[in-house]
Parts: sequence; C-alpha cells; structure tokens
Amino acid sequence: MAYQWDFTPVVANAPLLAQGLVNTLKITGVSLGCGLVLGLAFALMRLSPRPWLRLPAGFVIEVFRTTPPLVQLFWVFFALPLIAGIELTPFMAAIVTFSIQSGAFFAEVFRAGIQSIERGQWDGARAIGMNHAQAMQRIILPQAIKRMIPAFLERSIELMKTTTLVATIAYADLLFEANEISQKTFRPLETFTVVALIYFVVIFVVSLLARQLERRLAVSGENTVH
Amino acid sequence: MKWDFASVFDNTDALLAGAAGTLRLFAICLVCGLSLGLVVGLGRYARSKWLYWPATAFVEFFRNTPVLVQILWFYFALPILLPFTINPLAAAALGISLNSAAFSAEIYRGGIQSIDKGQWDGARAIGMGWGQAMRRIILPQAIKRMLPALTNRAIEIFKMSTLASAVAYVELLQQGKLIASLNFNPIEAYTAVAVIFFVFLWPLVQFTYVLERRLGRSE
Repeated sequence: MAYQWDFTPVVANAPLLAQGLVNTLKITGVSLGCGLVLGLAFALMRLSPRPWLRLPAGFVIEVFRTTPPLVQLFWVFFALPLIAGIELTPFMAAIVTFSIQSGAFFAEVFRAGIQSIERGQWDGARAIGMNHAQAMQRIILPQAIKRMIPAFLERSIELMKTTTLVATIAYADLLFEANEISQKTFRPLETFTVVALIYFVVIFVVSLLARQLERRLAVSGENTVH
Repeated sequence: MKWDFASVFDNTDALLAGAAGTLRLFAICLVCGLSLGLVVGLGRYARSKWLYWPATAFVEFFRNTPVLVQILWFYFALPILLPFTINPLAAAALGISLNSAAFSAEIYRGGIQSIDKGQWDGARAIGMGWGQAMRRIILPQAIKRMLPALTNRAIEIFKMSTLASAVAYVELLQQGKLIASLNFNPIEAYTAVAVIFFVFLWPLVQFTYVLERRLGRSE
C-alpha cells in the first residue's frame, strides 16, 4: 500500500506558513541587529585592559557559548521573569536569548578580526596623534570588519536555524505553524516536508550569497577570519 | 526572591536519568555522525560524479536546514512512510547524526585537501593504491589538523542533544522541565540544568582551546 501524497491541505494553509516565515525572519533580524551591537560591546570589553570590564564580558561570552541555546531560552522564558519580576512574551524571551547568545559568538568574531590587524596600524594611528578610541574607530575597525564579513554571515545563518527553538515556547514561527497545520490537517508528512524545504531554500540562498562574497573578498586579496 | 535548591536535590534521581539519556544520545550521535561524515567527506572529495553529487546534495541539505526541523520530520513525518513507528531516541539520533555528518564531512574534506600533493605522489611512488595512501599516509596527517574542528563538532552535538526534549526524549532539559512543573521551581530547576551543561562542556571547550593553540604552534 503506497502512501497517497496530498499537498492540498498544506497549500490551503499557505497564509499561515507565510506568517510563520515572516515571524521567523522578524526574530532573526531583530536578534541579529541586537547581537551585533552586543557582540561589539562584549569584544571591546574583553580586549580592555581594565579587569572590571574584561572579566564580566569573558564570563558572559563563555557561559553563552558553552550552554545549549534551548536551555538558555527556557531559563530566560521561565526563570528570568520570576527573578526580575517582569513579564516576558515568547517573542521578547527569544529576542533576549538570541541577542545575547549571538552577541557572545559575534564577540569572538570581532575579537579575532581586531587582533588580526597588524600592530603597525596601531603605531601609525598613535604616531599621527590618535588615542585608543579614535584609532579603534577610524583605523582598526574599518579594516577588521571587512575581514569578518564571511564569519558574520555564517553566524547569521546559524542564528536563523537557532530561531526554530522558539517553537518550543509557543511563538508562532514557521516551525510552530508547521506543527499546528500538521495536527489540524493530519498531514504531518506533507507539512513538515514543505516546511523543511522552505527553510532549505531561504538558508541555502543566503549561504550561496555568503560564499560568493567570500570568494570576492579572497580575490581582492583580503584575509578573512573565522 | 529566595532561592531554594532543596527541591532540585530531592530530584537528583530524575536528573541522573536525564544525564544518562543525554550521554547516550551524545555517544550515538558522535559515533554515527563522525563516521558517516567521513564517508560523505570522501564522497565530496571523489572524482566520480556518482559519488560527488549525492554527497554534495546531502551536505547542502543538512547544513542548510535547522536540526529541530529535521528531528520533527523524522518523528512525525517519516513513520508515515515506514511500516513501523519511530521512538523519540531514534528520531533525535537520526536528525542530529545526519546533521553532524554533513558538517563533519566538510571538516574531513578540508583536512584531506590541506595535505600536500607530494604526500600522494610519495605514497604512489612506493606502490600504494588510492585506498592505502588515504588510510596510511593522508588521513593520519589530516586527522591531526582536523582535531580542533572535530572537537568543536562534538561540543555542538552535546548542545544539540537538548533538542530531543521537543519529542519528549528523557534527557537533562526534559527532566528539568519535569522537575520545574512538579515543584513549581523553574528558577532552581533550569539554573541547575544550565549549570550541569556548563560543568560538562566547559572542560571540553578549554581542551579545544589548548588543542588549537598547540596544533597552531606545531604546524
């Protein structure tokens, strides 16, 4: 008895899937923006000579890099509101978790990029009278960021894949909608197959763009850091 | 706000069962993922397009879809095509192993490609076939270079094992959920789970750093 594939129930629910995809992209975009800002802040703190900046940043980076993202998400969603006496929607919990988590990873990318810039650049900046902050902002970072682009894109793809975890705390992302539709229509095979393909197409396109960019940077003789 | 870990310590047995489940899933996925990855990696390196294209499609598909989607697909969708049911462990192990195979395949391929062509020529000159040269000359050198990336993969597999809780497999996070819902102590339960993961993984991460530094020096 061969299984009869039937995609019509999935197609009928296309608007729900589209809404789910929009929500997935929303979480990815907001976490990416916040994560980049946090990541730069963490990296600058970690490279700072002052221990009261360096040590807390190192601690946050290590904790968020070495614990599973799903545990972090559960902690932020179920435990943090009780400790802080606030209410967090699943969306807010996801933003908080994924921003700090990707921030921790971005921090290491920033740090590797900044440290890959030759010492002579610092000396040159100092020689024309710049202080540390000016040199960082005008000389070091602009060069470092170019080298970091491939690693950033790779991390962004990882982030998008990680956002599927919000389905477990009932935020209506693409995966959550898939679960809903498959329970409603009794068509898990078709639904999950279609959703897997949607994720694949979106992420694959971003990966291809990332690879092309990396190749172009390599042609122009730029070093990249990972 | 008063922290009270007594209710967590009362459930040590549940956490131990969870830790055993996490370690079992980790061991299965580590062995299956890394060995299948070697096969796929060799396929990606092969000249025959019958090996190259399927291996490439496998790598691209599993690298570019979220693991949680794969696990749910194996749990809810695959059984419809099969004459038997799939338990949570099998679904999680399939999803995580195949995903890790795709990522480690690229590590193996990169490692093998990084070995100097002269090593191949030398192996051929003393009469070795392709398989012998790969096994005796190329892989032993390549593995050393791949070691930091492979231990990173192992850490990722350990972290991914928490996703099995989405299909109610008994592992650490699942047990944390259980304890939190029975004792109304999410703060202590989830903090304990996070600390346990940190304690397991932190030494591994530090080991990887040491490995990277040491190999960086000897290369």
